Amino acid sequence: MNLPIETEDLGKRYGDVRAVEHLSLRVAEGEIYAFLGLNGAGKTTTIRMLLGMIKPTTGYAKVLQTRIHIGNREPWESVGYMVEDPHAYAELTVYENLEVARRLHPGTPPKSVGQIIERLGLAAYADRRTGNLSHGNAQRLGLAKALIHDPRLLILDEPANGLDPAGIVEIRELLLELTREHGGTVFMSSHILAEVSRLAGRIGIIHKGQLLQELNTDELERNRRRRLLLRVREVESAFRVLIAADQPAKILQDGSIELKNASSVEHPDDINRLLVNAGTPPTQLMVEEEELEQYFLRLVGMDGGLENE
Amino acid sequence: MNNLSNMIWIELRKAIRSRMPLWTGLGSLFMPLGMAFLIFVAKNPEIFQKLGLVSAKANLMAYSATDWPSYLVLFAEIISAGGFFFFVMAISWVFGREFADGTLKDILAVPVHRSSILLAKFIVVAAWCAVMAIIIFILGLVVGAIIQLPGGSISVILHGSTVTAITVCLVIAVVLPFAFFASVGRGYLLPMGVAVLTLIMANLMMVVGWAEYFPWAMPILFSQGESSLTPFSYWIVVFTSLAGMIATYVWWKYADQNR
Repeated sequence: MNLPIETEDLGKRYGDVRAVEHLSLRVAEGEIYAFLGLNGAGKTTTIRMLLGMIKPTTGYAKVLQTRIHIGNREPWESVGYMVEDPHAYAELTVYENLEVARRLHPGTPPKSVGQIIERLGLAAYADRRTGNLSHGNAQRLGLAKALIHDPRLLILDEPANGLDPAGIVEIRELLLELTREHGGTVFMSSHILAEVSRLAGRIGIIHKGQLLQELNTDELERNRRRRLLLRVREVESAFRVLIAADQPAKILQDGSIELKNASSVEHPDDINRLLVNAGTPPTQLMVEEEELEQYFLRLVGMDGGLENE
Repeated sequence: MNNLSNMIWIELRKAIRSRMPLWTGLGSLFMPLGMAFLIFVAKNPEIFQKLGLVSAKANLMAYSATDWPSYLVLFAEIISAGGFFFFVMAISWVFGREFADGTLKDILAVPVHRSSILLAKFIVVAAWCAVMAIIIFILGLVVGAIIQLPGGSISVILHGSTVTAITVCLVIAVVLPFAFFASVGRGYLLPMGVAVLTLIMANLMMVVGWAEYFPWAMPILFSQGESSLTPFSYWIVVFTSLAGMIATYVWWKYADQNR
């Protein structure tokens, strides 16, 4: 199997601080892999190790089948990247910054500067000094620099940071186009699950330097908690009916009744029938799915998930 | 080679567009202009009687530069000390700005050897310093002509130019290691601090008589035309310069880059 990114037991320690530990990742060709974690989880350290900017203390990383050694120039002709906040030479214009990026990738034709400016919607700012760009446009410039040499692999650190909703949609389209039409691979970090869930084929969740879970989009849907919420006029009576029917009901602070068991969530009609027959019909019946961010926080142990009672 | 020319283009473009060469060039012009002012003051004491201290210093300067040969020696001395600071400023900017501005990460994972990137930076710094020195020197000659120094001849000017040129080369050579301090310090402060320290050390070495073994004292010694410099002294300068560049390369290649 062709793996554009492969790491084995990758780790980085700074004194007693373990920034990344035992990280073994496999990113397949043509997929968008989202690397999800809170701030300080180890995402950027991992990306810097993948890019040969910092030395791992354990394990190794392979990018485009090349084992990464700090300071080497392989395999970067086919890799585009953006690490942390986008920075550019403030005294140069957008065009000149892209010309710099082009010259840093020998073999990239001069016309690619104009093409990438068009592709990223930067034409109106081409002659503007980058010191005067908004954060959103600086982010676009960062992406343009990463894409100018038509890379096979993109490694992006929080690419949607600072972009407005329209910009986020544009980036999403761009990354999907890269993978679907050009067969490219994208490895991107994010701290917002909702942002990547519609884009990534696979998601790796990192917390405190360790990979907690890897899952694809289907698994993500399956793993999210669901619950049935009921509103009734006679809360106590309805609650007693449900308990008598062996349903694990719970009264929440706002007066609604919650059922988390699978049979209730999958067959709310049975619960409805039960309550109607008992003379306490529900006024509202709703299956609620755990928010992505709640799910994420639950995974990293920072939230109870669907518990708003 | 093609990569190197591309990297030189990049460094030149960054330098020129930043206007840093312009500002450092303008700043360095104060050296010949200041000298001219002090000599002018000393020659016209009646106009500047009320200036007191300035007048005293001006007299000192005027007595040191009463004719073209002594003026050119004084000039080379000033370049070896004052020029040194402007050259350190140039190299600190070229190397330190990549760290201070967060642009370093964009030149690390690229299909160009880091040696090409660094060599281009060193070449641009050397050229920048040389151009700065040439402008200062030409202005110095103009100033000398305006204040009508005696004892000028083509051979005197040529000799003075040669001494100044070699002094500038020595200064550039001992300034190149400051790229290492800009890189390790990830900005401008460390190289500027070390520059102050080296000048203090250079003076100290002169006092104790070891100046010919201290690379940062050698440009001053050479500019004064003293014969205390030995071939070994020049080797020390060459070694210091090369060691500084190699250390910079090793640091860029092997150190963790977190910015």
